[in-house]
Amino acid sequence: MSFKNMTITPGWEKYMTKEYVDLVERGPYGKQKKVSEMGSFKEVLEEHPMCAGCAMTLFIRLTMVGLPNPEHTILIGTAGCGRLALTQTSIPFIYGNYGDTNAVASGLKRGLEVRFKDQAKDVVVMAGDGGLADIGFSAVMHSWFRKERFTTIMLDNEVYGNTGGQESGMTERGALLKMAPKGKLFDKMDMIGLAQTSGVAYIARLTPTNPTRVASVVRKAVMIAREVGPTFIQAYTSCNIEYAIPTPKVLDDAREIESKRYGFMEIISDEAKAYLDSIDTSKKAKK
Amino acid sequence: MYLVAHIDQAICSETACRLCTQYCPEANTILYDNAAKTAFVAVDRCKGCEICVGICDDLAKHHAIKMIMITDLKDTFELSKEGFRPESWTGQHP
Repeated sequence: MSFKNMTITPGWEKYMTKEYVDLVERGPYGKQKKVSEMGSFKEVLEEHPMCAGCAMTLFIRLTMVGLPNPEHTILIGTAGCGRLALTQTSIPFIYGNYGDTNAVASGLKRGLEVRFKDQAKDVVVMAGDGGLADIGFSAVMHSWFRKERFTTIMLDNEVYGNTGGQESGMTERGALLKMAPKGKLFDKMDMIGLAQTSGVAYIARLTPTNPTRVASVVRKAVMIAREVGPTFIQAYTSCNIEYAIPTPKVLDDAREIESKRYGFMEIISDEAKAYLDSIDTSKKAKK
Repeated sequence: MYLVAHIDQAICSETACRLCTQYCPEANTILYDNAAKTAFVAVDRCKGCEICVGICDDLAKHHAIKMIMITDLKDTFELSKEGFRPESWTGQHP
């Protein structure tokens, strides 16, 4: 078996599926699309069954625009709301068992590095706060300590939204939920601090209030994960059902939470910064 | 019946801010016609969340998007029927 990528035999492109042709001719396969071009190119994300007006959906949509090479990316997720949209993308999706997403991603990334030596393949874990901070916690921490080269994106809706509103480790202290009627008794877990302690190369905290910023943060995280080490993005993606936010107010809520306690934050290691600068200079040299 | 977002293209084409296309949670739902410089809605994908109305009214301050009952719309654009063909969007879409 050849170690090269599979390619379509010349002349047979017209027999490929409509979605594939659209993504190559009018979409982000093979060329980087910008957030400002949204609406006029075919997107990686398709129709999906997530709730109307969900901030997590908006964040996932922007993430897909930010991916530097969607055609060379593999997504890993687990039970939770996010996978409802992640399975509807034109990107291979692996449904990890609850708790093992980052362990699966570690093995996959190492395997891909052996199999595709001349083509960078990106592995991106996208799961909820329950999947990463509670149930998957040990696999997440160990993948960071081992400096595995992939991106972990936490879709932090601060609740188990899929199963009826139980509190998670990432729920704010005192939050009243259907299955936490007396309010949560403990503080929100400091995943950013834990990521710093375990030596993650690039850490970002953000809300989907600024589309361009979301796309650029995802791009940086994936690029750094290719060469330097683990990267982590923690995104506030409110659950408008469990927190009873009317859909027209979803982004107002995101702005309010952003100004109160979820402001944009970026922690980048010196090595990662030097790598990003080297990409920028090589791009400018090409121009 | 249900409400879908409807964009007043006369107002939209004067501004070309494209903010609604970036903030819609649904992919390829608010589309953008580069020739006519206006956004328009694929009604088969719109879930009626009204986020775009808030964006157009409060952030862009253009007031071009309204929620309209689907039965009150005469000509509608449906992405599943038309396919993703930006070259055929000629500014004639409702």
